[in-house]
Amino acid sequence: MKSLVKEAELYRTQGLLEESKERYLEVLQLIEKNQRFQNNKKAINVIKDRIVGLEKDLAEIDQETEAPELSGKVQDLIKNLFSFSQNKDAAEMEGAVALARFGQYERALAEFNRLLDKGTLPLIAAKNVLRCHLALSSTDAAIDQFRKWLSGELLSKKQLRDIRSFLEYVLKRKGIQTKLPEVVGGTSQRPKEAGSEGGFLDVCSVTIRLESGPCKGSTKELDVTFQSGNVISLIISAKDKDLVDSFVPGIRLRGVHFFSSICVFRANGIVSEWTSIKTGPRRGDYVLSITIDRSDKLDIL
Amino acid sequence: MANFNLKDRVIECKIVYYGPGRGGKTTNLQYIHKAFKKQTTGEMVSINTKGDRTLFFDFLPLGLGKIKGCEIKVQLYTVPGQVRYSSTRKMVLKGVDGVVFVADSLSVRRKENMLSLKDLQQNLAEQKKSIFKIPLVLQYNKRDLAKESIPLLSVKLMERELNRKLKIPSFPASALKGTGVGATLQECLKLTLQHLQRELKWAG
Repeated sequence: MKSLVKEAELYRTQGLLEESKERYLEVLQLIEKNQRFQNNKKAINVIKDRIVGLEKDLAEIDQETEAPELSGKVQDLIKNLFSFSQNKDAAEMEGAVALARFGQYERALAEFNRLLDKGTLPLIAAKNVLRCHLALSSTDAAIDQFRKWLSGELLSKKQLRDIRSFLEYVLKRKGIQTKLPEVVGGTSQRPKEAGSEGGFLDVCSVTIRLESGPCKGSTKELDVTFQSGNVISLIISAKDKDLVDSFVPGIRLRGVHFFSSICVFRANGIVSEWTSIKTGPRRGDYVLSITIDRSDKLDIL
Repeated sequence: MANFNLKDRVIECKIVYYGPGRGGKTTNLQYIHKAFKKQTTGEMVSINTKGDRTLFFDFLPLGLGKIKGCEIKVQLYTVPGQVRYSSTRKMVLKGVDGVVFVADSLSVRRKENMLSLKDLQQNLAEQKKSIFKIPLVLQYNKRDLAKESIPLLSVKLMERELNRKLKIPSFPASALKGTGVGATLQECLKLTLQHLQRELKWAG
């Protein structure tokens, strides 16, 4: 029993809390089985307190997965370290996307706006500006931004049509009935390849049939709040805990329907990450990242 | 892929410390930061949760001076080990030139070591890199705990389970005490620079 307690304590100091808890539970079982120790209430209480403490720490860690607001210096570092392209424009865009991927939405928004003003990959920059607004729960800000672009000259009519189509679909999926102003003039043809600058279709929402977990057998429709290439992020309400528990990182999601503004396609995806939101209006909710499997053939429906 | 500035003859390469959560990756970098002060060219940056777990990554820049007429700069990173930070690991691993896999010698972490190595293989494959071809070194960390009578995996068993197919250099270590940390990094740097020399056809 002494060696079990020693192990449990060491695992606790190493941060291996699950392992520590398991050992303490073993100790408790041993005490309860052994008549010699059964009356040692003090020892029993000490072990029980340790287990409760570990459970509390484990619960705190579960809640500690939010992306904290980092200092400007660290944000600069992220921007520089995670831009790989030799092409300067592409590298700047990668840096801004990295900021968004690390949850630094305010700074990412400023970067995407700066790139847009410079005319760097304007379609990608503009869509990411809208994504950042939506991730920050500022639907009105996203719509206002689109209106401003309409009255300005930053974007071509063709680009504005593409962005309008993208925003309209996102809002529709969110259940927001807003008539966005039309893009007047220029060609009225729909863009052939939405998101062609980014090399991957813009996904607005997904339909997933769950094959495991508490929601096994059910089909869920979820909106996409952010996208970087083939990685999409979705926000799930904390009230829908069963749904959160159904998305275990690493599980493969088969036959997911991906809705883009120009088509619907079917492909497989992998749950790559989930984090909880600790600040802002969506506090307590969860962000799920799903990687669309590029190796599968995209089945256009 | 390493950045080779032909004009200034500067090579910048990226080494990533990979492995299961709480295995000692950050402790490795902390020790390097403390022990190799002459080589460090900037502050160590750590982005942790309150529980001292790596949330995004740790970063430490090193300068090795001139080798064969080229200034060698090295960026050391760690990944977050916890399973749920998969996409962050992929992001940190992007453009990697060499990997140190820090395995946990505690018996209770046996399965986690194997899962993390498999995760590394998959994430490298997504970058069209093979775990069998990339400069890779294994470190069996926490060997000092043997003195505490805590159940540890034997080096022989770890070799069999983690290194049977890879057949790469491996080092018993204690990142907390610094034992084996320098040797692990030196070997990884050696393999990485040899690999880059072949890839970039760089000669003095």
